[in-house]
Amino acid sequence: MITVEKLTKSFGSHRVLDAVDHRQERSESVVILGPSGCGKSTFLRCLNQLEVPDSGRITISDVTVDCARPVPREVQRQLRLRAGMVFQQFHLFPHLTALENILEAPVHVQGRPRAEVLDEARALLAQVGLSDRAGHRPSQLSGGQQQRVAIARALAMRPAVLLLDEPTSALDPELREEVRDVLRRLADDGLTMLLVTHDLQLARDVSDRIRFFHGGQVVEEGRPEAVLDNPQHPRTREFMGKTGGG
Amino acid sequence: MPERHPQTRTNQPLLRGLPTTASILLLLLLSLVRAQADLWSEVQSRGVLRWGDDAEGGAPYIYHPENDATRLVGFEVEFAEALAARLGVRDQFVQNNWDMLLPALRQGGNFDVVIAGMERTPENLAKADMSRPYFVFAQQLVVRSNNAAWQSISDLKGKPVGVLSASSSHRLLERLGGFDIRVYQDNVNYFRDLEVGRIDGVLTDTPIAQVNLAGNDRLRAAGAPFEPGYYAVAVPAGETNLLRRLDTAIEGLAADGTLERIYTKYGQWSATQEGLRTWQPPVEVVRRQRSGLREWRTFLPMLLRAAVTTVWVTCGGMILAVTLGLALAIVKQYAPAPLRWMAVAYIEVFRGTPLLLQIYFIYFGLAQQLGLKLSAGAAAVLALGLNYAATEAENYRAGLLSVPRGQMEAALALGMKQRVALRRVLLPQALRISLPSVTNDFIAMFKDSSIVSVIALVELTKEFQIRAIDTGDYLGLGLMTAGIYFAMSWTASLGARRIERMLHHDHR
Ligand SMILES: Nc1ncnc2c1ncn2[C@@H]1O[C@H](COP(=O)(O)OP(=O)(O)OP(=O)(O)O)[C@@H](O)[C@H]1O
Ligand SMILES: [Mg+2]
Repeated sequence: MITVEKLTKSFGSHRVLDAVDHRQERSESVVILGPSGCGKSTFLRCLNQLEVPDSGRITISDVTVDCARPVPREVQRQLRLRAGMVFQQFHLFPHLTALENILEAPVHVQGRPRAEVLDEARALLAQVGLSDRAGHRPSQLSGGQQQRVAIARALAMRPAVLLLDEPTSALDPELREEVRDVLRRLADDGLTMLLVTHDLQLARDVSDRIRFFHGGQVVEEGRPEAVLDNPQHPRTREFMGKTGGG
Repeated sequence: MPERHPQTRTNQPLLRGLPTTASILLLLLLSLVRAQADLWSEVQSRGVLRWGDDAEGGAPYIYHPENDATRLVGFEVEFAEALAARLGVRDQFVQNNWDMLLPALRQGGNFDVVIAGMERTPENLAKADMSRPYFVFAQQLVVRSNNAAWQSISDLKGKPVGVLSASSSHRLLERLGGFDIRVYQDNVNYFRDLEVGRIDGVLTDTPIAQVNLAGNDRLRAAGAPFEPGYYAVAVPAGETNLLRRLDTAIEGLAADGTLERIYTKYGQWSATQEGLRTWQPPVEVVRRQRSGLREWRTFLPMLLRAAVTTVWVTCGGMILAVTLGLALAIVKQYAPAPLRWMAVAYIEVFRGTPLLLQIYFIYFGLAQQLGLKLSAGAAAVLALGLNYAATEAENYRAGLLSVPRGQMEAALALGMKQRVALRRVLLPQALRISLPSVTNDFIAMFKDSSIVSVIALVELTKEFQIRAIDTGDYLGLGLMTAGIYFAMSWTASLGARRIERMLHHDHR
């Protein structure tokens, strides 16, 4: 479903991603862990072309881009249509209600009839437990509720994979559980997810596999129990010790 | 009464700054002293008669001869010289804005008399005393030479005719009724608009027609001069001694042929000037200080009608400004290099040059050089709109820049093209942010729109000027005009605040 070969990205002289490979099957859910500043967000943003990588190949579903050459805008867009994105800071559209946030892209990007999308959008709101908040604006929702709307908004485009960058980090601990709950169910339903997080509980709950980033490379990877409870690489061990997940 | 002042903006000494208590006392003291001394004896002991006029008046009244910007000539300059000599004193010219000559004379300005083509009319007699006439003029209709049909003013009923603002020609056309009167600020530009065909005739005083028709084969005088009027020397009210001396002196200059000699030199002598020798003052002169507030039934409708012009010029200008401004902001922010530079250049040029200059350029410049003859209304809307578009573009850009980066990223991540993201996500947020600045500019434009009066468009401020010159009541009419401006901007800001609250409410 996702294939990344030798993805490289530098900011100035600072090489953030150093020939990173990544392979992920349909319905597989992968979590990326790693210390702050190791390039996790950059990796996700490269996948949907919000950052322009220096080189490497990215394939998501049926779209492949060769990053060594300039990527036409339309190809970028096709890639983005296959990879939904959920941001740490939600980035809901503040001038639209929760329901309108979900309708926006299906109607104005895919050009689907509003009436048809409306039922689907309501179902998505129900799925994330917010049926009663359809008419609320983002400013009238809690952080957890906003993040759940953001997940529904991404899902409304029926992406092949869902990319999530620290979906619970901006939330108070008591609000995290409601987002974890939604993501657990999505994983159970077989959604292909690639998730960056510092939330080890979330990592344990939703991942089929964990990859540990360090210094722009993957230094360890394996089943969640293996990486979380019995890390091999010294960096991973140090990280688990600090985060208190061991 | 030819106002011969090109584009001078009226100063209002009453409103200019707040004088300190000390200077108020000094002024009071001075006016007491002045009231007691007789102006004639003052002139005598000084040995100088100071006369007020506006050197921008132009030929044949008062002008700089070619190649000599330091000297003044003209039939009024020579008349003043002869008059002073006859009184046994020297003469001294004092420059003053034409509009404000009589008010300044009344308030004890720095001149003793006004010699400036002031017409001996009841309106002027209400503001100052006036001597016996020193010059007879009449109304002259001027049309294009290629139009043989028009012979008298009645042939131009319903057609656009240019007059000088608040002049006797202006009043005559208003009295006759049925003309499309176009009001100008000076005696030059209506001839230009007549030549290019924006108007079909000009009604003006004979001296002005005579000078401007000389050597111009595109224009001709239509029919004989009519409606004679008299220029007289204006003296502060109550200075009967000085007035009597002036009357005697003028009578003498008429009798001994001095006036004939001067006027002949400037091509102004005609049989009608013979009337100067036999002139008798009208038996009864109605002297009435007019009050705009007391006669509000007359003046309020006039001002309101002019306010309608202000409103549509402003609204039209603003509609153009907000749409063009939006396009400029988007191009400046998102378009590729050459287009972006053009938007930047546009914004800098229109923000960096005076609006007045832009109006002249659009109305006169385009007509002369490119033959693009915009109507005054279209030129006004265009000038205001083009000018404000630059400001609005910057407002919108500030709005666009203050939308968080994540909004664009979220939109792109959903597969939106940049254009869709802009329209559906960024602009709705940016417009809300810039709305307060845009409405501020809308209100500012109500006031700035008064500048379009320079292209023969009578909006509220111009109407006020015309009526204030007629009545001399700057205060009462000024209050009414200010009230109308206030009502307009108050309504506009109420509406704006309502929209803001509405948008803010569903933004939250
Ligand atoms: N636009 C940019 N310009 C320059 N440097 C950048 C930019 N974006 C990220 N970086 C740098 O790249 C490195 C990786 O950043 P990235 O955001 O991917 O880290 P991360 O692993 O997501 O960290 P965190 O866990 O704190 O979110 C950091 O050193 C960061 O300072
Ligand atoms: Mg990050």
